[in-house]
This record gives sequence, structure tokens and C-alpha cells, in this order.
Amino acid sequence: MKTFVLAAALFAAGTLAASAQQLAPSPTLDAIKARGHLECGVHLGLPGFSFANDKGEWTGLDVDYCRALAAAVLGDATKVKYTPTSVQQRWPILQSGQVDVLSRNSTITFSRNATLGLNFQGINFYEGQTFIVRKKANVKSAEELDGASVCVAAGSTEEKNAADWFRERNLKVTITNFQKNDDAITAYDSGRCDAYTAGVGALAGQRAKLKVPDDHIILTKPISNDPQGPVTRYGDERWQLIVRWVLNGTIAAEMLGVTSKNVDEMKANSKNTEVRRLLGAEGGFGAMMGLADDWMYKAIKQVGNYGESYERTVGLESPLKLERGQNQLWTKGGLIFTPPFQ
Amino acid sequence: MSKAFAFINDKRVRDVFYQAALLIGLAALLVYFIRNASQNMVQAGIASGFNFLWRTSGIEVPFVLTGYTQSDNILSLFWAGVANTLLVTVIALVLSTALGFLIGIARLSSIWLVQAIAGAYVEFVRNIPLLFFVLFWYFGVIAALPAPRESLSVFGVAFLNNRGLTIPLPDAGANLKYAFIAIAISCLLHWLFLRWARRRKEATGRDAPILRVGLVLLLLIPVLALTWASLATRWDIPVLRGFNYRGGFVVIPEFVALLAALVTYTAGFIAEIVRGGIQSVPHGQIEASSALGLRPGQTLRLVTIPQALRVMTPPMTNQYLNVLKNSSFGAAIAYPDVVSLFMGSALTNTGQAIEIIAMTLALYLVIGLAVSAFMNWYNARIALVTR
Repeated sequence: MKTFVLAAALFAAGTLAASAQQLAPSPTLDAIKARGHLECGVHLGLPGFSFANDKGEWTGLDVDYCRALAAAVLGDATKVKYTPTSVQQRWPILQSGQVDVLSRNSTITFSRNATLGLNFQGINFYEGQTFIVRKKANVKSAEELDGASVCVAAGSTEEKNAADWFRERNLKVTITNFQKNDDAITAYDSGRCDAYTAGVGALAGQRAKLKVPDDHIILTKPISNDPQGPVTRYGDERWQLIVRWVLNGTIAAEMLGVTSKNVDEMKANSKNTEVRRLLGAEGGFGAMMGLADDWMYKAIKQVGNYGESYERTVGLESPLKLERGQNQLWTKGGLIFTPPFQ
Repeated sequence: MSKAFAFINDKRVRDVFYQAALLIGLAALLVYFIRNASQNMVQAGIASGFNFLWRTSGIEVPFVLTGYTQSDNILSLFWAGVANTLLVTVIALVLSTALGFLIGIARLSSIWLVQAIAGAYVEFVRNIPLLFFVLFWYFGVIAALPAPRESLSVFGVAFLNNRGLTIPLPDAGANLKYAFIAIAISCLLHWLFLRWARRRKEATGRDAPILRVGLVLLLLIPVLALTWASLATRWDIPVLRGFNYRGGFVVIPEFVALLAALVTYTAGFIAEIVRGGIQSVPHGQIEASSALGLRPGQTLRLVTIPQALRVMTPPMTNQYLNVLKNSSFGAAIAYPDVVSLFMGSALTNTGQAIEIIAMTLALYLVIGLAVSAFMNWYNARIALVTR
């Protein structure tokens, strides 16, 4: 009897020790490593967020997230294949496994989370819905749009938001729903509608697509709050962990003052333990997810921290010239936040 | 082989067996697909089933015939889309048939210029994709209309601008209802009269005053009824206020553009069917009718077209079904048809792709089969009757 108990105890201890080394299986991560690139779903073309130039090079805030993820997982920010998706295509393409992650300024909502089999892994942009109108219409706020026609992309959160918002205020507004953002903009530009509605950030980029951008103004007061960030499908918890913490890592880097320029020096000399854990100098955090320990070092070195990315793509260094506003770090009065790397 | 199994050699038994086996196999395959899909969806955390149809839709539709509002459920949104699809399909069917007949007959005209123009139209239309027509009418023609403040006014009661055609709407419909009932009754009377006239002609050979009675029943009574009703009704006349005209009913530009595209496109194909049908009537028939002293117009109406219809009906059925299916091109220009509203907005909002696409497919199938059934009935009716 005694020998049996001893053997059982030894066996239990053995399995425990073995399982401590073992990671939960991650088919998505294995598939990415095997094929050598990340599959990332992005917008069809939204300047500042995901936009391909005439050479086919993608840039933007959402694209930068894909690049950071590729750098963390594969060590190379260029190993990404972008799949442009319309409002209608974005969920099926993620659900069916054609892309590993969707980074496509899509609003996080309860029903999407609960019924579409989608998990939202954090927030990389706080968007607010507003309207673009012609200057000569002399409209200062959305309340003055009574009787107007509004063009919108069908199936977007904006479509429902706008309908609800006008109905609550008893304003009669005709909403015309187009299948693609670009069709709605073209129709607005041709005079079919008095206003086109989308997020402030999206409008800042889309305004450039109008024939005479200076004839139009964007109403400043948003009618809704639309937080956006990377999306994964249900299942494969370890992959979701990686997607979530790469985003957190870029935010943490900005909070800790780590940039693409000083990342080498910080890794070598920083005394701050959180910086050292983030950059893989101690703690072995990468290995806990099945990545190299310098995962965030690579991402920040090649793509930069959240603030660098923001300024370059939608911020003051970009044509969109958006202030940080809500998208400033929480320590500086904004809403951008990350849990600690501990 | 024992006698008990002799039925295996019976051809009828074997035929039934093979067909039954095929049917069971197909059914099993279908069940397998459905089960597999629903299991995978449950595992992926994607909602399935038809409960979403009773959720509030929240989608604003700019062109509604069914009384739908955005606080109704998604099923009502579906019916609003179906009504819009049917509306554009039915009107396009009627108009494209009329235009197609005109062009088809023009192609056989003895005047060279008429023939050449009709021929050029057919060749042009047949070789251009429908999407081009839709975009051309929408972004090329309709978008060129003036802004609301510079609207084209029709007698100061209807207004045409790039937001659509705003027409007055009756405030209280009671009088109009009586007028429509009166029109329906006079149409019924006309039909009964025609039947009676035909029977009498077959029996006695005497003609009835068809034209005069027809004018009274189909023209005079409706005009009088409508005039009385519109004078006795208060009308909601559109007025320019703020961004656009208020009041009345708005025929949206998307509807006009889609209708124009469907009609101009389909007419090209119908014209060819009409030409083929007319040319299939043997030339001897036409010679015989002119020998009997019928004028060319009478020959066309009484001899050529009735015989040509027999050849034309089956390919016309195809064209009619194409119009129904092509109406889904409205999605390209935001016409709120069932594809745009249900497979566009509702699908993206609920994410229930399989259910929504299945329902839309079933809908097109049902309408399509109904159109075929009607055309088959018509085909049987006009088939050569030998007495």
C-alpha cells in the first residue's frame, strides 16, 4: 500500500512538473510560424488607419498594429499579408479563419462580442461618430440636420447610431444606406445627401477623397463613443493572449518612455524592472506565451510605441492632424490604458 | 435465382429503387451539411437559429411601402425589402416588355433609319454589363439633377431634384378608396362584356360595339372617379423647408435609376425575342392575310403577333426571371431592396449569414417559381388550339 501511495505521489509530481513546462496548444500561432507570415484583416482603404499607396505598401494605425504583432511573433514587421475587407466581409473573413486577426477600425459592441463569436482584445482608438457637411449649408451641430438626407455605410454601427440619435430627438432625417463607405462618400459628394456620417478619425482621412475637400466641414461634437481595437475569433486562448498583450505592450512602451530610437539603450541600461520585463531583459515573459523573450523589443524597435505610431499615422505628423484627445495616455488626461507588465 | 427475388429484374421496380436511393442520398447529404454547419457555429460561439427575426431592427429605410419603421423587428425589415424588390420588378417587367415590343417591331420596319437605330440599340445594350447601366443612370443621369433649392417644379405640386421626385400624397384616403373600387368594378364589367361579346360572336357572328364600351368602361369612368376623388380629398402638398421638401411621398432617385437601368437593359433582349418570334411566322400567313384584305396593322395584330407569341413565351419567361434576379443590382446604388436591407444591413448587424442567405434564396426561388408557373399557364393557354 505504502509503495503504491509513493508511486502515485511521484507520478502526480512528475505530471505537474511536466505540465508547468508545457503551453496550451495554439493552432493559430503554429500556423503563422509554419507559413512564415501573419494574415491581417484591414479596411478597404481608410487613410490614417489602413491605406495602401500606389506601390501596394500599407500604412496606418491599424496596419501598424499588424506590423507590431508580426514583429513580436515572427521577429519581422514586414511579414504580414493584408486582406482588405468591406463592412460586410470583415466578420466572416475572421470567423472562417482566413485571417489571424482583424485590425480594422471596427467598434466594440456587446452583441458582436456575444453573438458573432468575436473577442475584442483592447482599444487602440477611441472614435466618436460625427457628420461631414457642406460649408454653404451653414450647419454647426447635428441637431440642425432636421429634414436632411444622410449617407452611411450599411451594417456599420453608424447606421444604427444615427437612426436612434435622430429618432430620440424627433428629427426627421432620411438615411440612405450604401454597401461600401466609398460609395456613400461618392454619393454625398455628388449631392445625393446633405451629410455623410462616420467616425471623427475616419472622416479626417476620408475627407481627402472629396472633389474639393475645403468645401466641407466636419462637425466637432460627436454623437456617440465608438472604441475600436484588434479582434480575434473565439477559441485559441494563447493566441488571444498574444494579440492582447502586444497591443498592451505598445501602450506600456509609451508610458515607460521606450521608443524605437532609445529601445536598445533602454534594454541595456534601464534600471526600471517593468521596462526590463517588457523588453525581455528579465522575467522571460515572451516564453510564457511561446514567443521569443525579445518579442516586444522587436515590435518597438521596428514599429515604435503607441504614441509614435499615432503621431505618424493620424496625429500631428500626418495629413489627418488629429489631436491625441481621448487617445492620449490616461496619465496625461486621455483614456488609453494598459494593465502592468508584472 | 429463386422466384421470390424475380422482381429485381422488373425494370419499373429497379427504376423506382434507383431514384429513391438517389433521393435519400441527397437528403442525407443535406442533413449532414446542416448539422455540420450548426455544430461548427456553436463551437465558434456564433449564434444560430431564427430568433433574431424578432429583434428590433433599428435600421432606417428611406423608401417604405409596408409601413415599416426602425423600431419594428427584423422580419418587418425583410418584408419591407421584399415589397421594394417586387415593386421595382413588376414595374420593370411591364415597361421593358412595352419598350422591347416597340424596338423589336422597329427592327423589322421597312424604313431603313428606324431599323438601323433599333438594331444599333440592341447590339449596344446586349454587349454592356448591367452594372454599367445601373451606375450610369445613378451617377451619370440622376446625380445631374438640380439640388433641392433649384428643383424642377411640375405645376407647383410635384418637385424633381437630386433627392428624388416628391409627389403630393392624399391626406385622408376614403374618397380615393371609393374611386379605386369604382375602377375595379368597371374593369370587371369590361371583362365580362368582352366574354359576352366573344361568345355572341362565336354563336351568331354579330359584332358588339367593343371600342365604344371599352372607352367608357376603361377610360371615362376611371377619369371621372379619379377627378371626383382628388377634388374631394385634401392633399399633402410638398413645401420647401430647410434642406428639402417636406410632406408628400418621395420617389427616391435610387428607385428611378434602378428602374431605368432594368428597363433599358432588358428591353434590348426582349426586342430580339420579339423579332425572332415575328420572323418565325411563315411569310405565307402574311401574304394570305393581305390577300384577304387586312391592313398591315391588322395583319400584325391579328395574324402575326398571336402566332409569334407562341414562340416568344418560353424565352420571355427567362427574361422576366432575369429582371427579378437583376433587381438585386439595386444594392450597388443603395436601393433598399431585400438584398441591400436584409443581406446587407441585417446580416452585418446580426452576423447570421447562413439563415439570412437561406431566407433570401428561398424568397427568390418562391417568386421565380411563381413567375414561371404563371408563364407556363399562359403558354399553355395560347398554344395552338385545334378544333
